[in-house]
Amino acid sequence: MADALTEKGSARSWRAPRLTLRQREAIEAWLFVSPTVAGFLLFFLGPLAAVVYFSLTEWNLLTQQATFVGVKNYVDALSHNPDFWHVLRNSFVFAMGLVPLNMALALSLALALSRPFRGVIFFRTVFFAPVVTSAVAWAIVWRFLLQGEGGAVNQMLALVGIDGPNWLREPDWAMVAVIVTRVIKMVGLNMILYIAALQAIPRDYEAAARLEGASNWQIFRMVIWPLLAPTTLVIFVITMIGSFKVFDHIYLMTGGGPENGTLVLAFYIYEQGFKFFNVGYASALAMIMFVIVLVLTVVQMTLRRRDMQ
Amino acid sequence: MTSLTLRNIKKSFGATQVIKGVDLEIADGEFVVFVGPSGCGKSTLLRMIAGLEDITEGEIYIGERKVNDVQAAQRGVAMVFQSYALYPHLTVRDNMAFGLKVRKVPASERERRVREAAASLKLEALLDRYPRELSGGQRQRVAIGRAIVGNPQVFLFDEPLSNLDAELRVHMRSEIAALHQRLENTMIYVTHDQIEAMTLADRIVVLREGVIEQVGTPRELYESPANLFVAQFIGSPRMNVLPARAVAGRLAARGLNIGAAEGVGMRPEHISLTAPESGLLRGRVALSEYTGAATLLHVELEEGETALVIANGPAVPANGQEVGLEIAREHLHVFDKAGRAIRPLVQAA
Amino acid sequence: MTLTVRQARIIARICWTVALLVVAVPFVFPFLWMVSSGFKSATEIFGQPSLIPRVWRWQNYLEVFEYQPFARQYFNSLYIAVAVTGLTLVISSLAGYALARMRFAGAGLLMLFLLSALMVPEEVTIIPNFFLIRWMGLMDTHAPLILLPVFGSHGVMATFLMRQYFLAIPKELEEAGKMDGLSPFGIWWRIALPMSRPALAAVSIITFLFSWNLFLEPLVFISSLEKFTLPLALSNFTDSYGLPLWHLQLAATSLAVVPILIVYLIAQRQIIESFALSGVKG
Ligand SMILES: Nc1ncnc2c1ncn2[C@@H]1O[C@H](COP(=O)(O)OP(=O)(O)OP(=O)(O)O)[C@@H](O)[C@H]1O
Ligand SMILES: [Mg+2]
Repeated sequence: MADALTEKGSARSWRAPRLTLRQREAIEAWLFVSPTVAGFLLFFLGPLAAVVYFSLTEWNLLTQQATFVGVKNYVDALSHNPDFWHVLRNSFVFAMGLVPLNMALALSLALALSRPFRGVIFFRTVFFAPVVTSAVAWAIVWRFLLQGEGGAVNQMLALVGIDGPNWLREPDWAMVAVIVTRVIKMVGLNMILYIAALQAIPRDYEAAARLEGASNWQIFRMVIWPLLAPTTLVIFVITMIGSFKVFDHIYLMTGGGPENGTLVLAFYIYEQGFKFFNVGYASALAMIMFVIVLVLTVVQMTLRRRDMQ
Repeated sequence: MTSLTLRNIKKSFGATQVIKGVDLEIADGEFVVFVGPSGCGKSTLLRMIAGLEDITEGEIYIGERKVNDVQAAQRGVAMVFQSYALYPHLTVRDNMAFGLKVRKVPASERERRVREAAASLKLEALLDRYPRELSGGQRQRVAIGRAIVGNPQVFLFDEPLSNLDAELRVHMRSEIAALHQRLENTMIYVTHDQIEAMTLADRIVVLREGVIEQVGTPRELYESPANLFVAQFIGSPRMNVLPARAVAGRLAARGLNIGAAEGVGMRPEHISLTAPESGLLRGRVALSEYTGAATLLHVELEEGETALVIANGPAVPANGQEVGLEIAREHLHVFDKAGRAIRPLVQAA
Repeated sequence: MTLTVRQARIIARICWTVALLVVAVPFVFPFLWMVSSGFKSATEIFGQPSLIPRVWRWQNYLEVFEYQPFARQYFNSLYIAVAVTGLTLVISSLAGYALARMRFAGAGLLMLFLLSALMVPEEVTIIPNFFLIRWMGLMDTHAPLILLPVFGSHGVMATFLMRQYFLAIPKELEEAGKMDGLSPFGIWWRIALPMSRPALAAVSIITFLFSWNLFLEPLVFISSLEKFTLPLALSNFTDSYGLPLWHLQLAATSLAVVPILIVYLIAQRQIIESFALSGVKG
């Protein structure tokens, strides 16, 4: 009788140079990852190295020549250019405003929506809808709604007797406006991460605490909040990083204005690089952004590791 | 001819060596069972034979062919996994035919073989179901069916019955035995259920921490275990081992000299009860456990040790009663300091 | 008057629902306003606010297509998003499979590198990528809009998501495949992928939306109108002074957003779960 398991085996055994199983597996694995590796080298690692180099050069627009200038761009940013500190301040203000607001709202919504009740799907769907909407569309609509005169927001405020500011034309209000509208856009994402985490907490814990007579607030403080800590950490870092990368939202709502009141790092990099072609300087800025993100990531990883121990 | 030869097989995961030099010859058509405590390397050894784990050192031959670097599918072996590993997205029929399809066996031949295997395993009615629609025993049969259709030279089983309930396990055990009789293939079977091992095996391989402790027929292992480990591993309830100093005197009084032995082993089922003053050992019943077929007596010996005794008769001594224990000399096992069995067991003084 | 426990519970429930409804206003309102304003005339837009247009100006939706090649731009977004999704599925699931299941020298290092790429924003590498793309002669083509997302941090995220999912497939299934004679590629294609439909769906959804909503890359790489993608096109409805033509811009935005929203409403559960899956990884 034909022997299925070996008939092919013998045909193959003399073909191709013999490799050990280990070697064969390694070769196949590299084939699997090769597109990723190639793309990674070409579009990520290479450019990252290039950014480091660019940040040490000055770019001549006419000759398209790069001249090595050492750390001049960094020195410029950190000590000569008042714009930079202004931009960095804006970025931090943006983050400091956005992150707590986003997380507090996300957690509140998650607590309200983690248990089934009639309408829970409706509310989750509503709060998540802006997440799937393009940032560009979102910014366009809000810019429209927030116009000083005739803007829907102000007209509604007028109904209750409030004379709303010209939101996007006054630096401080513009910052408030971009933060709040960004929170509304993104809070759904953190909300569902919190909901997932809340639903993973065994109900027994809460039941046990309740039997011991704990109040809702005590249960939250002493049972739920500590158990959410890992999620909170992840959410904190991704929200923080996300707030440093915010670009399209600013670009379309305020264009960095008014009076550079909402000029944040990502936008500043874009402006320096692609509007003014200060390639060297923009690259130095990109490096600074990279370092900020890196520090945040490392902080998260260390905290998480400590958490697990 | 599909004998199997393992020559000085070693396996390391990173820095830890889990198989530490295994030599083994398996004859064509033999049913060999690997037993040993959890983590001793049974699965690892089996998976090395299957080609799922590469071989750190040593050689494996299937038939005449060295297979160290032959891919799993080309070794002529089939494996039945503990979790059955049925493809959840394929029907029973497709699960069984999958390997043939991959090997480009023509559809008609495929269908024939699947039907044949299904018939022999009483699976015909289930061919169009998905694995999730089957009971544990049925899945088990499909897993075996999948192994059969490829006509492998060697069958490998990794604890195939451990997910089944007790009754089904006994039933499937006999089916596997019947399968072996019918196919006459070489089979290697991993279990840590010693009843499975004893009933199925032509030969049992006892492993401990990556080393073979003993290879032999079930009877050899039971009657003359090579060392303390095997002695206590095979047999249930396990063999009593008393320190030699506790019994040497009494044995000597009967003209038995156990010399330099460290331990003396007696299986609970070989010990019989006598009057307190006439037995080899003497003690008091501390606890008796009635299991239906027999009663397990925990007897506290005068020397302070506890011995387990299986009492079969209807007259079972009550708790606290003094009893004497007797054992035939051919049932005594004597071990030296290193735990090796000393043979001949007992020399006359 | 004292309330029974049941009454108290009902009242609490009502209070909660009302509170949630109030919070929901800024989430829903912009969509309603956007659609309604897309039907208003340029003048009515600045009149008394009203959710229902006094006069329904359907011709806004025609003008959108006359003002710029909006149909073409719409199609661009669509096909680019499909291409990005397809490529990402293949490439990330291949790499994710190798990282989950195969042993090879350099795997640890590769993981570490990819992990670092996960966190780095596109803004950091966009400048050198600009020169790279220009050097490759791909300026003002759609190639960078496909390549950069596939190989950027989003692709890496997809890779990790797939890897995580593959890790949860019982290893014995793949070993059974190996015993059955499948090559690693065969195992990937015929066992790992069919068993990873939820992960593949999640990657598809978030990748499609990611590409659909991409803005910085088109802004940097695309200059001709007929090559614009939707986000770029939407930002382009301005008069000669650079001021927005609101009625057209909002009509166009509605055209871009509403189909996505409809799909979202139909498949909200699946879509939300997909984001939850990816967020946990990120
Ligand atoms: N992939 C692996 N990486 C590292 N160590 C492993 C790996 N597989 C097995 N081991 C280790 O090798 C040893 C032997 O494992 P193996 O699975 O062969 O044991 P076993 O005898 O089959 O046990 P069980 O009866 O519990 O199935 C164990 O200590 C185990 O922890
Ligand atoms: Mg095992």
